[in-house]
Amino acid sequence: MVASKQMALTVRGLDKIYGTGCPQCFNLTGPAYETNICSECGTLVACHDISLDLEHGEILGIVGESGSGKSTLVRCLYFDEEASGGESYLAAYRDGKVNLFAETAQRKRHIRNHLMGMVYQNPLLGIKPHFTAGGNVAEKLLTAGFYNFADIRSRAGSLLSRTEVPLARMDDFPAHFSGGMQQRVQIAKALSNNPPLLFLDEITTGLDLSVQARVLDLVKEIQRELGIAMLVVSHDLGVIRMLADRTAVMKNGRMVEIGLTDQILEDPQHQYTQLLVHSML
Amino acid sequence: MLNIRQINKHTGYNFAFLDENTKREIRRKTLKAVAIPGYQVPFASPELPIARGWGTGGLQVTMSIIGKDDILKVIDQGCDGGVNAVNIRNLLTKTTGVRTTFDTQAATIIQTRHRVPEEPLREDQILVLQVPIPEPLRYVEASTGKAQEMHAEMDYSRMWVFLYENIVKWGEITIGSRYPSLVNGRYLIDPSPIPRWDVPKLNMADTLFLFGAGREKRIYAVPPHTRVEPMEFEDHRFRVEDFTGRACVRCGSTDTYMNEIHDGSSGNKLYVCSDSSYCDKVRSRREDDLDGGK
Repeated sequence: MVASKQMALTVRGLDKIYGTGCPQCFNLTGPAYETNICSECGTLVACHDISLDLEHGEILGIVGESGSGKSTLVRCLYFDEEASGGESYLAAYRDGKVNLFAETAQRKRHIRNHLMGMVYQNPLLGIKPHFTAGGNVAEKLLTAGFYNFADIRSRAGSLLSRTEVPLARMDDFPAHFSGGMQQRVQIAKALSNNPPLLFLDEITTGLDLSVQARVLDLVKEIQRELGIAMLVVSHDLGVIRMLADRTAVMKNGRMVEIGLTDQILEDPQHQYTQLLVHSML
Repeated sequence: MLNIRQINKHTGYNFAFLDENTKREIRRKTLKAVAIPGYQVPFASPELPIARGWGTGGLQVTMSIIGKDDILKVIDQGCDGGVNAVNIRNLLTKTTGVRTTFDTQAATIIQTRHRVPEEPLREDQILVLQVPIPEPLRYVEASTGKAQEMHAEMDYSRMWVFLYENIVKWGEITIGSRYPSLVNGRYLIDPSPIPRWDVPKLNMADTLFLFGAGREKRIYAVPPHTRVEPMEFEDHRFRVEDFTGRACVRCGSTDTYMNEIHDGSSGNKLYVCSDSSYCDKVRSRREDDLDGGK
């Protein structure tokens, strides 16, 4: 299939299983069974039949409880994990005509480095504590093919000041930074190659409230100014309400509902979404 | 033709010490290394009478490729008289009976530790380099498995960040020897601890360069007429050591890689060519000129 012109990212029928798998796996798991472990063979069905479209410049939220498969979905799309099945198309890569999952490891690395950015919940997954803050941003630039030291330095500097990391600390090690500052270094790194697509995986979890607010402001600003399409994973409906234009709800490895964020929050259709919304404090 | 079953009565050893199966193993891996420039090929071999880390990698490569008609030169840091060179030369002459030379241009195989000779090498010569650490990514990645993955995907970003941070910290790239270089636009190699001075000599050369690492049992190669590009930024170019204003006290050369020596009596710093045979050559040529003028 060919991705539609308006879509930055198109995902069709993504599956991810951990285990040997059996013909019954997909029938015996999911919200109806309240589990993602197949009772026949014990295989874990982390994601099944996930399809979504992400428009240019749009923020799509993914909510769900712990273990619902939302992080696995994003990790598959960023090639951290290998998807067991399904297709993914990126408008910026060969006009969205090539299924990314079928590409070689070397091509996938190229796509990751040139066309995608990722911000993990744990900053230390995305940045290296023994590289300086500037070095971390430089790493992404160097993989994307920038080899001019002065350019790299000035771009890293402007990105770090953009994400409110004091320039005086550019050549310090993130190991000595606070959690919020590490997170901002990670965001600067993810943005450095101007990716058309950004994945944000629980980026505010574990940060204190005032830092959370500033990180969210930053994400919102970046989306407004750079028009980057984003996939935002969170279990926090407050974050989703603030950031996402549309929201998908996941439960036991399935996508149970997708729609405008307002609609999901004000008029949830699926039983689980209703439970989720009503559990909000 | 050499009969592989016949033990050379004169020396009591098989020709070039190694048994024929080991030589064949190393030759096959050497061919593979030449076929994939810069790629580190693992090989198997028994222990040698020289401890690992004393040039056994280069020694095994030399033992596998040497023939009765070869003329051997062995150097250690540019010097034919270094202890490592002397011992390796003695072992090879004892087990092969080949002729040896100090003259770079007369040799067909040159085994070297940490230098490439000053005189340009020809296409009928092979330079065998002894390698202590074959993995250029060892600086930045401790796991060999991960480093191999990085080679497979040509992911050298961490090495680049290492260079970036070097410049941030010191204002320039401070790697003195073992300068990471990209071979044929594909694989990053550790060119062994040759000074930066020697790295450009590997690029588009007429000679075959074979790298043998004995401790880690890896062979890699730079075939003739192959690009070898040291890693550099567009605005921080790779540069060789600067000996401006210095001349060798023995031969007067100003265009060679020089060692700094301390003169205890005068307290002065003196400079002398690291390539001893080249130094001798220039010196005797100069003496001839002086004699001729008399």
